[in-house]
Amino acid sequence: MLSTLQSPRSLSRFSSRYTLCTLTAQSPPSTSPPPPPPHSQILSIRHSLLSRRLSAAQLAESYLTRLRLTEPHLKCFLHVSEDAVLEQAHRLDQMIASSEEIGPLAGVLVAVKDNICTADMPSTGGSRVLEGYLPPFDATAVRRIKDLGGIVVGKTNLDEFGMGSTTEASAFQVTANPWDISRVPGGSSGGSAAAVSARQCVVSLGSDTGGSVRQPASFCGVVGLKPTYGRVSRYGLMAYASSLDVIGCFGSSVADTGILLHAISGHDRLDATSSNREVPDFASRFDSIDLLESKPLKGLRVGLIRETLDDGVDNGVVSVIRGAASHLEELGCSVTEISLPSFSLGLPAYYILASSESSSNLSRYDGVRYGDQVVAAELNSLYGDSRAKGFGPEVKRRILTGTYALSAGYYDAYYKRAQQVRTMIRKSFKAALDENDILISPAAPSAAYKIGEKKDDPLAMYAGDIMTVNVNLAGLPALVLPCGFVEGGAAGLPVGLQMIGAGFDEENLLKVGHIFEQTLENCRFVPPLIEHDDTPW
Amino acid sequence: MRMGMGSCRALLVGRGVAATASASIQKTQFFNSSSNSFGLCFSKSVLITCRNNNGVRSCSTASIRSSLEPPDVPRLADTARISLTQNEVEEFAPKIRQVIDWFGQLQDVDLHSIEPAIRADTEGSNLRDDVPETFENREAMIAAVPSFEEQYIKVPKVLNKE
Repeated sequence: MLSTLQSPRSLSRFSSRYTLCTLTAQSPPSTSPPPPPPHSQILSIRHSLLSRRLSAAQLAESYLTRLRLTEPHLKCFLHVSEDAVLEQAHRLDQMIASSEEIGPLAGVLVAVKDNICTADMPSTGGSRVLEGYLPPFDATAVRRIKDLGGIVVGKTNLDEFGMGSTTEASAFQVTANPWDISRVPGGSSGGSAAAVSARQCVVSLGSDTGGSVRQPASFCGVVGLKPTYGRVSRYGLMAYASSLDVIGCFGSSVADTGILLHAISGHDRLDATSSNREVPDFASRFDSIDLLESKPLKGLRVGLIRETLDDGVDNGVVSVIRGAASHLEELGCSVTEISLPSFSLGLPAYYILASSESSSNLSRYDGVRYGDQVVAAELNSLYGDSRAKGFGPEVKRRILTGTYALSAGYYDAYYKRAQQVRTMIRKSFKAALDENDILISPAAPSAAYKIGEKKDDPLAMYAGDIMTVNVNLAGLPALVLPCGFVEGGAAGLPVGLQMIGAGFDEENLLKVGHIFEQTLENCRFVPPLIEHDDTPW
Repeated sequence: MRMGMGSCRALLVGRGVAATASASIQKTQFFNSSSNSFGLCFSKSVLITCRNNNGVRSCSTASIRSSLEPPDVPRLADTARISLTQNEVEEFAPKIRQVIDWFGQLQDVDLHSIEPAIRADTEGSNLRDDVPETFENREAMIAAVPSFEEQYIKVPKVLNKE
């Protein structure tokens, strides 16, 4: 049973203030529908390369052209390696010509968030304290992408060291949302989300400590996946809060996101927190919708988190999420509203833990081993002045807050209590996931806000993380996929649905997400900025 | 971009704890509300009424937030080795105080007999053998050091603090 949805351009026809991708019985379209999006760009690319329909060089050039055209407006990247991209593409074409075997990510342009180390490109963490820094190694996730043939196109913009939700806290530039360039792309992985949204690359890596993959995915209308803590190695990810950080994936489809996740997952001896669990072949779970029965998700129990639809959440977002819940019901799920007690305690607990851990993790930026070094008369001034010059205000404030929370005598009052709240939240998720297969909620209380709107108000900024932090506290996996629009910008602003699964259950999330996405017919999440782009990719 | 009014307040206050204003409570507003931003009110002593939620006790007595020393920003900056300007101290202090006061809502939650969780997932010990290995790219590591003079990393003198 396929659902028909309004295309974003038809917003003005509807009298209701908020537009959903609604479900109606199939009716003959009055104008010819847009071509259905391919269910996987990565698989389409592979097919085109192996059938010699396109060369890797042509493909790379096509993406780079679009990148060059859109970058002045979007500023997603802190560094782009055009020459290296084309060189790798040519080498791949030679391999194909001599019938050598090519990896599953061959020819796929991947952007990498700048807090993930790449040996051949500067890695700044979005901070002046690491301006020009060239790491001596690749992060494990990056190395795995390269080993499988992926081409790293560049490093994307972020809030400094992952501390922020808009990229406005980057020391270098603010990234714009491709759906409306006066708005933020979300953060901290705003550059990675926007780059995929604007099709400057195929997929990208981000990091998620309190929602930094999921919220920008929602704001930019792309798929974002936060894996279970321990699923993907953190080796090479600049640590912000070590008990919460994970590397996550962005794609323009669930299938692409799953393929990338599979490429980077698995145990790594260089990360003591990485899990030994076997990695299922996520890539094999993406059936064509033609093969699906009419109620493909029959029997799936879905819990809609009541606390995420309360006061403080935009009415338009609530409508869209309820619409998504109906869509799941159409697909055969049983959706019930559930309550997670102590849900809203997660936000202060998260900020206590994150600022405390960050105060420790960022003590390594001392002007001695790497980065900028100021001239100073004695060692403590060297530290103090290098750090003062190198860190932005939000980072300084969080370090100071964390230093306070960890001060002698205060551990019990703050850090320990936050750890206890973490236990409560873990238990309440576990109880909910015993009764339900997945839980759903919005990924953010609103769609993308205007640049500058939240910049000076830390608590208002933090409030926006309410939907996402608890998942990090519990270490669970979550998938965000675009499911509708609210008013704003030229063609509406996308809204993402967050699906939360049990620990290490990414396979199920991806399967459900793929079916949901593929049955959202006639609802394309392509921003107006590139809508008239004629290139095939 | 529309956002429900008073929305942020609802998101920031813990569900088990509802802070209600009464005529006798002094309010100190650290932020002025603009149409979209959020104004948080705190006071030294707050009369709190709570709902009873699973595991969260209901409380009705006054709770004094000032039992813990408020943050001494210059001292914290010294501990964290960040040289702050006077302007920064003045600008940061209220914002840091506001966030720490907001953290204080965890004081009112009954966490008796709940084990602290170090991290979410405890999959057991996952350590590699304690065998030394040579890092293969020493040159790149050394190249990143701002003031390397073979074979030392040069730093200014270390003075003992009085």
